[in-house]
Amino acid sequence: MGRPTTVIPPGKRLLPAVVAVTLLLPLLFARTAPAADLSVSSKTFLRYYERELAGGNKDTYAPLYEYLSADATNLGGKPLAFHFYGWGRLDLGDASGSGKESGDVGSAYLEYLHPQGNAQMKLGRFFLTEGAAMETLDGAFVKATSSVGLGVSLYGGAPVEQSILNGTSTGSSLYGGRVFFAKAGFAEIGASYLVENGSFQGGEDREEVGGDLWLRVAPPVELTARATYNRSASEMASQRYAVRIVPGATVDISAGYESYTYKGLFQSTLNPAFVPPSVDNNDDVQTIFGIVDWAFVPGWTLEVGGKIIRHEKSDPGDANRGEVGVRYAYNDKKDVAGFSAAFVSADQAKNEYQEYRGFASYSPSKLRLTLDALTQQYKEAPIPGVGKKNQYQVVATAGYQLLASLQLSGNLTYTQSPNFQEDWAGLVRVNYDFATSTGGKK
Amino acid sequence: MMRRAYAMNIVGAALLALLFGCSSVSQTPSVPPKHPEDLPQGRVDCLECHQDVSTGALKPYSMARHSRVFIDSHGTYARQGQNLCASCHAPAFCQTCHARKEEMKPDTKMGDRPDRRAPHRGDYLVTHRIDGRLDPGSCFRCHGNKMDTRCKQCHQ
Repeated sequence: MGRPTTVIPPGKRLLPAVVAVTLLLPLLFARTAPAADLSVSSKTFLRYYERELAGGNKDTYAPLYEYLSADATNLGGKPLAFHFYGWGRLDLGDASGSGKESGDVGSAYLEYLHPQGNAQMKLGRFFLTEGAAMETLDGAFVKATSSVGLGVSLYGGAPVEQSILNGTSTGSSLYGGRVFFAKAGFAEIGASYLVENGSFQGGEDREEVGGDLWLRVAPPVELTARATYNRSASEMASQRYAVRIVPGATVDISAGYESYTYKGLFQSTLNPAFVPPSVDNNDDVQTIFGIVDWAFVPGWTLEVGGKIIRHEKSDPGDANRGEVGVRYAYNDKKDVAGFSAAFVSADQAKNEYQEYRGFASYSPSKLRLTLDALTQQYKEAPIPGVGKKNQYQVVATAGYQLLASLQLSGNLTYTQSPNFQEDWAGLVRVNYDFATSTGGKK
Repeated sequence: MMRRAYAMNIVGAALLALLFGCSSVSQTPSVPPKHPEDLPQGRVDCLECHQDVSTGALKPYSMARHSRVFIDSHGTYARQGQNLCASCHAPAFCQTCHARKEEMKPDTKMGDRPDRRAPHRGDYLVTHRIDGRLDPGSCFRCHGNKMDTRCKQCHQ
């Protein structure tokens, strides 16, 4: 198959306008700007790595990335905020991606948070999780809760997606809402509905109906549930039910059941990895999971997790994953060291592997050093034609806090894997954080 | 056509509910848009200061204890509201992982934070062959319709 054709849906033409308007909106409050709290975070990365190409040639990559986020709250002394997040890349060496430059605006939106009842409104590009929706949207979102606990949220706009699936473009519009009832400290139950106009699998739109529940049955015990039905595919897309027990400040236990159908969940995909022949559309997955997090001694935490994965179809077969780890926080929680071991046992040997990881950090005064080592041991060679059955990676970093708002650090990464006989990669990072007020942990 | 009518009915009902809601918005104080005090480094434990129910999430603070349990199921809570999250985390925090288009893995960007539970550590291009076969739903949530820049090098 050739490269997919990029089709720009009508909704996408709104993007430049939405971004421009949203960026300009804060200017309306320029006269009262001194009342605003401003925080800016800039993260600059310069990576360096080499790749050997077929025919013996070697490419040298040195992409320079800038990640910028800015949050202006309390605009004009009102509960208004403006948020921005985006990144850009410029290659100083060979092209590391599609072209020597790239970038994206992750979010740029105006937010109003009402002082009461958590009523809120967003306008612009934002990341949204609400009932059945987990989307990035160029549009609007509004939510309010009444005095009796009944609430409603509505959203609509153009979905911010990316398609690499031949013949399928991104959705042109997306809208939906959620109706919910919440009783503080006791329960929240919601029903949601979502439609994305497009031509997804079967030539259909994406249309989903969702339900969600949080219920505190007793002070230490809570139940959570969420389920989504895909009306376009006439299939239950996914379900997740869990019980969580938090008997005190040191123990947290959860167990539950999760399932999804390929036909229902993947119906609206824009990635060929989720359509036949890459996957069997008639398969479904059921999992049972459990997690324990126990701070058994101050500073020390034991984490144990397990997951039983069952497939309807014999290929790829069933599997079990187990994991145990210990973490130790020290130096006033600024530093953490940990070790973990995980295994996957499966019906088919090609799906079995073990993983071991150890890490530690050391932050005396303005210096920060970290070390992170990982190995994975596969039962069978994971890449056909490459005999290697293991991988090792070590990441060492060193950083120094030059100023209260400015930190310089670097990574050195060594990798040995079925993809790399031996690979060294470097990264230099400059973090600059500026804020006009205290608070938060952005 | 019937589906459109159904959708319009839902939207209409929701608008009516919204009008009702606006006329009697709850008087409960909203969660502050920003946590009023600087927070220490490391995993947050709200229970160190808060014992009661958050007026933002309408759930007890024990729910938001950033244990492994919470981190693994944070999506379930976020789908009922993000106000409490947003009090401490800027939108950019979510988008470190949940992005439309991203070229650097979270563990590369946060190489100096090995304590963070960043996905895809190591040469994950190798291991994703196994995890993707066994549990593709866990991949789909982020890679189903976004962040496919790297995917298309092989998945075409």
